[in-house]
This record gives sequence, C-alpha cells and structure tokens, in this order.
Amino acid sequence: MEEVLFRARNIGKEYPGTVALSGVDLEVRAGEVVGLVGENGAGKSTLLRIISCVEQPTTGSMEMRGQPFRGRNLLEANQLGVGMVFQEQSLMKNLSVAQNIYLGRERGFRRLGFINWGRMNAAGSRALSAIGLKDISPARKVLELDFATRQMVEIAKVLNIVGDRKGGCLILLDEPTSVLNDAEIRRLFEEIKEITRQGSSIVFVSHRLSEVIEISDRIYVFKDGRQTALVDKANADENLLYEKMVGRSTSGEYFKVNRQTEPADQVILEVRGLGVKGYFRDVSFRVRRGEVLGICGVVGSGKEEVCAVLCGDDRPDTGQFFLDGTECRFSSPADALKAGILSVPKERREEGVIGTLSVAENISLSSLGAVSRRRLISGRALVGRAKDWIRTLNIKTSGPRESVETLSGGNAQKVVFARVISGENKVVILNHPTRGVDVGAKEEIYQLIREMTEKGIGVVLLGDTLEETISVSSRLVVMKDGLVMAEMDAPRLAKPSQLDIVRYMM
Amino acid sequence: MATVESNPSTERDAALRTVAAEFSQRIAAERAKSRIIRLGPFLVMIFLVIVMSILVPGFFSFINLVSVLQQVATPLVLSMGLTFVLLLGSIDLSLEGVMGFTGSIVALLVLNTKNSLDLGVLGILAAVAAGTLFGLVSGLFHTRLKIPSFMVTFGMGSAITGFGILSYRGIPASIKDPMFAQVASGTFLGIPLLTWFALVVFFIALAIERYTAFGRHVYAIGENESVARAGGINVDRIKVTVFAWSAFCASIAGVFGAIKLNIGEVIISSGFLFSTITAVVVGGTSLVGGSGGVVQSLVGVVIVTIIQDSMILLGVNAYVQPAVQGMIVVAAVALTVARGRKLIFK
Repeated sequence: MEEVLFRARNIGKEYPGTVALSGVDLEVRAGEVVGLVGENGAGKSTLLRIISCVEQPTTGSMEMRGQPFRGRNLLEANQLGVGMVFQEQSLMKNLSVAQNIYLGRERGFRRLGFINWGRMNAAGSRALSAIGLKDISPARKVLELDFATRQMVEIAKVLNIVGDRKGGCLILLDEPTSVLNDAEIRRLFEEIKEITRQGSSIVFVSHRLSEVIEISDRIYVFKDGRQTALVDKANADENLLYEKMVGRSTSGEYFKVNRQTEPADQVILEVRGLGVKGYFRDVSFRVRRGEVLGICGVVGSGKEEVCAVLCGDDRPDTGQFFLDGTECRFSSPADALKAGILSVPKERREEGVIGTLSVAENISLSSLGAVSRRRLISGRALVGRAKDWIRTLNIKTSGPRESVETLSGGNAQKVVFARVISGENKVVILNHPTRGVDVGAKEEIYQLIREMTEKGIGVVLLGDTLEETISVSSRLVVMKDGLVMAEMDAPRLAKPSQLDIVRYMM
Repeated sequence: MATVESNPSTERDAALRTVAAEFSQRIAAERAKSRIIRLGPFLVMIFLVIVMSILVPGFFSFINLVSVLQQVATPLVLSMGLTFVLLLGSIDLSLEGVMGFTGSIVALLVLNTKNSLDLGVLGILAAVAAGTLFGLVSGLFHTRLKIPSFMVTFGMGSAITGFGILSYRGIPASIKDPMFAQVASGTFLGIPLLTWFALVVFFIALAIERYTAFGRHVYAIGENESVARAGGINVDRIKVTVFAWSAFCASIAGVFGAIKLNIGEVIISSGFLFSTITAVVVGGTSLVGGSGGVVQSLVGVVIVTIIQDSMILLGVNAYVQPAVQGMIVVAAVALTVARGRKLIFK
C-alpha cells in the first residue's frame, strides 16, 4: 500500500480570465481509492481532465510509476496506464458490449479483413470477468443493458484499454453513482474493491459525501481551485469535510446585501408538486414580489431541469405552477415570455444573445412591439432605446449598431439583462448570470438584480457559487438528487452559512 | 430562521429510489422503441404483400414476382451504398450524378456506335473506377474542407452529370457489345441476372457491415463522433471510404442502367436518388446516423418497389406516383425520428 503509483505536483490551470486550479498536489498509492470532494467549480473535474490528458495543465508536473507522465490526449494517457470513466457515458449504444470494449482496437481479432466475433466475444468475456462481471453477455447490445450495467461495462472497457502492465493502473471515476440506485451502488463498490485488490488504483469523485467516505482510503478536499485538506479515512466525517469545502466568505457589500428588498406578501409564482420523470419530483415553492429565490444544489440535483420547466423549455410530468394565480401550461419559451416569465440562460452565447445581431436588436428582441410602428420596426426607436440602456447599464460597446459577438462576456450579459428588464416581466429566471464575467461586471449584475426586485419582479436564481446564491437571495431552496431537501429564509441580517446549506446539498 | 426539512431521511431514500427507477423506465422505453423500428418495416412488408395480393389483380403471379425482382436490382445496389452514408449521419445527393456518369462512359468504353473502342469487361471496370473516384473526391472535400455532406454531394452530383453529358457531347452512344444484351435478358433459376448481381452486392455490403471493424466504426461514428474520435478511430478516413463505397455502388447501378437500356445517357439515373433515399429511410435507417443497416434497406427497397409496382398494376396516374412516394418518405421519417424536446432542426 505504500508504493506511490501516481503523483501530481503543483498543478495549475488557467483559462482566459479565470484560474481553475492552482498549486494542487495529488498522490495516489498502489491499490488505494482516493476521493475528491468539493463544490461545483472547485476544480475536481478540471483535475481529472488534466490527469487523463484531455487538457494540459498550465503549470506543474505529473509522474506515473516513477516515470514522468505527459500525454497529448486521452489515448496517450491510456497507453501510460491512466483511464477515465466519464460522467456522461461514452459507450456506443448501437454496438455490442465486446465491440465497445475493443472499439478502435479490433486489429487483434482480424483475419483477411474480417473480424472473428467469436474470438472477440471470448476476449470480452475475459475482460468482464476480470473484474467479476460474469453474468454480462459480451454479444448483447449496450442499448439492451440497464444503466448500472452500462457503467460496469464502461469500467471494464477502460480497465481493459489501460491494461494491467506491471504495477497496476489508475482509473478515474467522475460521478459514477449519480444515476444509480442503492443496490447498483453496492455492486459498483464491490467492483471498485475488486479492482484495487488487483493492485490498480481509483480516483473517485462524487457529490455524495457518505459514499466518498465509505469507499475512499484518503480524501482530498477542493475549494475554489485549491486543495484545502487531505483527510484519512479514519478521520473523515461529513461535518469536517463540509467545513473544509466552504471556507470563509467575502463581504456582503460586494453582493449589495444592504439593497436586498423586503419581499411583499403577494405571491407571484407558485410551484406545486412539480416533477419531470427521472430528473426531479415533488418540488414546491413560492416566489413573492420583489423576492430573490435561490435554488442551491450540485449539478444533477435537478435544479436546472426545474428552471427549464418554469421557462417553458420543458414540460412537467406531474404538478402545476401558477403565475399570479393563473396556472401556466407552456409549450415553448415564447409562451412563458408572453405570460411574463423570462429566463436568462446559462449558455449565453448560444441561448442568451444572437451574436450576429446588433446590440440594439438584441435589447429589443423580446419586446419588438415597443419599438414598432404599425407592425414595422422603427430603426430610430430601436436605436434610441438601446442608447438609453447602454448608458444606464454602462455597457462597453462602440455603439448600438455593434454586433454582440464582439462584446466581452460581461457586456454581452448586460445586453441580456437590458432585454430582460426592458420587457414587461413578472418573473425572471437567472441561470448562472455571472458565469464567465469579470469581477467588476459581476458587481454591476448584482446591482441590476437589486433593481429588478425593487421594481417588484420576482427572481429565481441559480447562482454560480453557493456564496453568491446565499448572499443575493432572500429565500433559499436546497435540492439534492431531484428532491427539495430544505427551504429557508435568508434575510439581510441573518444569512444562513454555507455550511448550513452544504449539509443538505451533499 | 425558518428552516423546513421537506423530506426526512427514510422518505427521501424511498423517493430517490423512484427517481432512479423512473430513469431506468426511460431507458426501457428507448429500448422498446428501437425494437419497433427494427421490426416494423419487416411487418409492413409482409402486410403489403398480403394486401396487394388480395387487392391488386395480377400482383400474386410468377410474372409479377419476376418483374418485382427485376425492379429491385438497381435501387438495391444504390441503397447498399447510401445506407452506410446515412449510418454516418451524412447524406449522398450525388448518386444520380455518379450513376448517370458511369452509365454514359461505360457505353463509350465498350463496343458502341460512337467510337471504335471495345474494352469489354475492362471497360466496365474502368467506368466503375472512374465513378468511385468521384465519391472519393466528395469524401475528401467533405472531411478536409469541412463542407456539409449534403452540399458537397449536391454540387458534385451536378458537376458529375455535366461530365457525363460532355463525355458523349450531347448525343449518347448506343451499346453494340453482345455481352450487354445477354446479361440484360439472361436469367438464372428464372431470376434475372442483374438481380443476382445486386444480391452479390447486398451480401458484400452485409459482410462489410457485420464482420469488419470498418462496419462497426461506421456505426460508432453515427452514434457519437467525438467519442469515436477520442477512442482512436480514424474518423476522416472512414468517412472518405464510405463516400467512395457509395459512389462505387452508384457506379454499379450506372452499369446496370446501361445494360438495361442499351444506351449510355445521364438520364438513365433520373428518379433513382429519391426512391433510394425513400427505401433506406422506410427500411428503418435513421437520418441522424447510428442505427439501421443493409438488411433494413433490403426490406425498404422491397416495400418501395411493391408500392410502385402495385400503382402501375392499378393504373395510377404516373404523375401521382412520385407524390405518393414523397408522402411515404415524410411519414416514415415522422414515425421513426427521435424527437428530443429541445433539439433544434435545421
């Protein structure tokens, strides 16, 4: 157990404008399971992508079996003994299990150009039983397997690719349990133990802390791209990990907490028992006029899907929601907009603005009626209105005719906000409004949110960080695995701590 | 601070099980649908044979069987190429161009009325090779210049048709090679020779699909190109090969056309692009790639041919026939396409 299989030193990763990782050290010993925990955006996934050579680190070095480790892509990482099981499964559903395991590596089974399926299936069988999967037929199509079995096959595939050359290999598992049920998770854990018994090592990432504590020998905790702790299994308990994950908070001034409005009593949006099969269920909450309702939860908690339903992008299977007491049945975002619910999507470049149109056109896109005369758009009104907004929101652009494509992230986001506020909306759904926006522009966006609530608009917020969600919201809903776990007030002077929230999230 | 815990732990676990269960229901539904798409066309074919036998006078006869088998030959060969293209998620609109071109030049290379060449089988091989080369070029344009396949093949198809017309300078050559006439009228076990040749192409395509790594890679690319690429598959090479294979099949069909009509003219291919796409799609090969196959296309070709044949027997107006075909292809796509709620179609 003492022999070190893999070591990373001082790993850093910078993207334009942000630092995703800095000064990360990681050590994986032969035959152990290392857990990585942290909030979304803490840097776990980036680290996995660097170890599996999908991305290159900006700084730092890695070692595998005592040799320098450097690969240009996943394939080279595989050859050096590192394999990764991705969060979204990468098996080909239309091919058989054995064909998937040996995809791209059929050479050994070929004779005169034709593949000997008998031999490939036999080899596939061996690859599966190597990790104790004796009851999966290698000739079956992946489509016919249940989700958990697919996951096992994927692990068998990665293990088989990476091979068991001297000294074992390193398998990275990114959120492998997120859609498995209890029995299936048990099976996966048996699998993991079997793999480590054979001398290979596992890096295990999950947002469910209890699972990480159960399966890992040592746990690395991440916060904002840095390592905040390394905890041995013996010392690990959930509270300790929560504390290390959240850290200290910045000042309330930054989030304009003093401008947080006291919500009116009038409920503007009511959600009752909403559910979409397989994603979330029994979600209920109320948003009052002038209130910011923050939904906390990790990726996969169902919060994104809830918003998709509210803004008309998706239809619920169960439950209802009401706007101003009227039940809403939207078949498209256009319906939602007509009713008065507007969403500011996360994928700004793809869903929020139309890059090739001008700033002015984007601002009035959702309310062209207001700049039209006899159903024809008045260019003068369009530009005049845009000029007002450019001034009010301090959008940095050469003029209303500039195309949004060329604006910076923060300024493009302000254009989206101008579109939102300028329309007649009752409820605004903000999906990661500050993602990829620089610090100054973030502050301005918080200010804008405050302005919206002062106008009596109800806001549903999915924040980029937990701290942001808590500070900006006046009420919080915490979701986990598709269910609402807790609901609490977040008044100006008595904000709940991140620890309070994380407890329900993980 | 008013904190409300909505779900106590045990209740939560129970609920969570159903969220996971609901997820597996989704997968089961997906599976059931794929089974229907796999079996559906086959049942439709059986159904059509029965219904037409009852309703259409003269359908259930040996003469008509031979006639249907004869009609099947050319679209079957064309569909063997197109199936692979569709499996990738691409489309090949140059089929007619390649077919017409090869049909034109093969007539000029064997014994004919326009020149003194008499290359025989060698001429056929040369013509097929030339046609295949165009597919290779289309594939290279598609992968190297990253032009969408429909645009590349649309343009190439038009260009190739132009080359075909140029080859005989407006006045097509008639074929005098006796071998062609023999093949055109020849039968084996009562079935036309061309149909046998088409079946040979079918079995070659089946072997490629089922028993080669290339065949599996085509499916993998259609399902998820980026994963296939990451898995070390040379995606571009496979794509170029598929377009060359499609053009190869279209060239064979061109030779068939020349054999049947005894003349080398680009219009011998007219109408085949649409009926081939119809056949492949009706058979159950998905337009978005990844599912279907040559057996399905065989079924699709038979379905389309039976419908055409029955319309002729019933004396349906020739101008109405393409309209019926058009509705069939739209209906087939509407029935089989996976409708993601948020997918954007262009």
